[in-house]
Amino acid sequence: MDIPYTVHARPDTGLYNAKIGIWLFLASEVMLFGGLFSAYIFLRVGADYPWPVHDLDVTLGFINTVVLIASSVTVVMAWAMLKLRKFGWYRINMAITVICAGVFMFNKSLEYKAKFAHYAVKLTDGTLLTGHLPHGYHVKFEGVSELNITVPLKTSGVSADPVNHVLPFIEGTAPKFKTEDGKEISLDEASFEALSADASKNAADAKKSSAAIKLVATAPINFAVKPSDIFGYTDTTITFRDGTTATGKLVDDKMTLEVDGVDARGVAQSEKSLAFDHRYLGEAWQKAFVENRDHHITKFEKDYPTRDKTRSATLQKESLFFKLNSAEPPAAGAAHGDAHGAEAHAPAEGHGGAHAHHPTVVLEKKDITFFSNFTPKLNTYYAIYFTLTGLHGLHVIAGALVLLYFLAFDGKRLRQDPEHLANRVEVGGLFWHFVDLVWIFLFPLLYLL
Amino acid sequence: MADNVEAIQKSIKWYIIIGVILIVFSGLTVGLSYVELPTHSLNILVGMILATVKATLVALIFMHLNHERSMIYKILLFTVVLASVLFALFIFSHEDPLQFSGFYAPVEQQ
Repeated sequence: MDIPYTVHARPDTGLYNAKIGIWLFLASEVMLFGGLFSAYIFLRVGADYPWPVHDLDVTLGFINTVVLIASSVTVVMAWAMLKLRKFGWYRINMAITVICAGVFMFNKSLEYKAKFAHYAVKLTDGTLLTGHLPHGYHVKFEGVSELNITVPLKTSGVSADPVNHVLPFIEGTAPKFKTEDGKEISLDEASFEALSADASKNAADAKKSSAAIKLVATAPINFAVKPSDIFGYTDTTITFRDGTTATGKLVDDKMTLEVDGVDARGVAQSEKSLAFDHRYLGEAWQKAFVENRDHHITKFEKDYPTRDKTRSATLQKESLFFKLNSAEPPAAGAAHGDAHGAEAHAPAEGHGGAHAHHPTVVLEKKDITFFSNFTPKLNTYYAIYFTLTGLHGLHVIAGALVLLYFLAFDGKRLRQDPEHLANRVEVGGLFWHFVDLVWIFLFPLLYLL
Repeated sequence: MADNVEAIQKSIKWYIIIGVILIVFSGLTVGLSYVELPTHSLNILVGMILATVKATLVALIFMHLNHERSMIYKILLFTVVLASVLFALFIFSHEDPLQFSGFYAPVEQQ
């Protein structure tokens, strides 16, 4: 069956059907991205923290902008060449468009990857440290000899599942466990099912609301867990995410951070920031910070004598968000700090030159209130950044796939009915231009302003 | 719709020219974002005006809206009205005032 009006115009609208269809679709896409842009405005105006400006990689973003503009040119050229029946040029332009899409997504993947590896740590006095975790961050427990599992008898949100929530975090191979009636088992799905069913029956008979299972390890267990893998811990107990508890000794929960930035905008007296404590960056870095801060403030007072310092986001950022670009403080002097001060540690091999020159600090858990890598959960800015660019990236992929299909698989239509293919390419190109339009607004809004 | 050969031939030259203009404007936007105007809102306004100019060029010339049929314009009129309402909703946020208290009060550190 032939679909009507794919080549010739419908008499009442004066257009071929796909043209109207794509514009209706683009109208709905405007509402989709418009809603997200509107959300951006609300989030920015309502933010109770300094909204990041120029925090993203502007160079990479600008390259992506140029790449997308070029691809917009080539896709409309491809359509024009097809209308002029210059098939060679049509193919070349389409190919360049798809390649540009690939380059765009590749650059985006570099950006995202860098963000996922970068961490922000908030200290108790409001200081924000940014940097990398060369060894990850784990809480280490030693000498755990028993697991206390609670199986609720009614359906509950938290139900015991030590096989998935405890076993994976045991260092080395898991030992065998002894149950309360002396039986030795190795803990797996089947044996836990049996154990759980047994205990539940006994508890139900005794009219209790939950069954308690105690497993004694035949050899002491050590744990090295990420804080997100467990529910919580104290000096002697870990509580896992399924409610199971284990008693042992907390060995280490310090965080080794390669610091590349100190954000003192949240601290009342910036030079007294916890970051410059003798255990961490020390006096020499504090001096460098104060020098940088005072230099920028003096320069601002000279350049803009009538402007209010507290209302210049740029000044606040330049003077109080201090970037550390070397392992030693710049005008180091004699104070090289004690063992916990600013030591030049060669970072883990995987990180290469980019972070080869940052001081390392070992943060104590009691000084940390919050930490996260640069992902949506860090703050609302990154939440909206990833949402907008992620959704846009998906649109880039979808558009590229459609154009690739026309290039690679519509050869028959190219030979037999090029006008129809030209209309298809025009419609695909319109979607591509819309994707470029969204980026034209996204780039300045997220990267520059 | 540019259906005849000469019109398309002429457009080709324009596609490339507009492409170059867009890239230049992008560079301009990047440069201007580093110039500190009296308030940051002005920076945002300038940036958005430049972005709107670029978007208009793409829409009119690349997307052929400069010689499209009225049916398409009618569809887009709805879009413009509805999208404006979406952004204008932000004005109502002033019913729920947020006081600018500086970046974290207190900030008297100087």
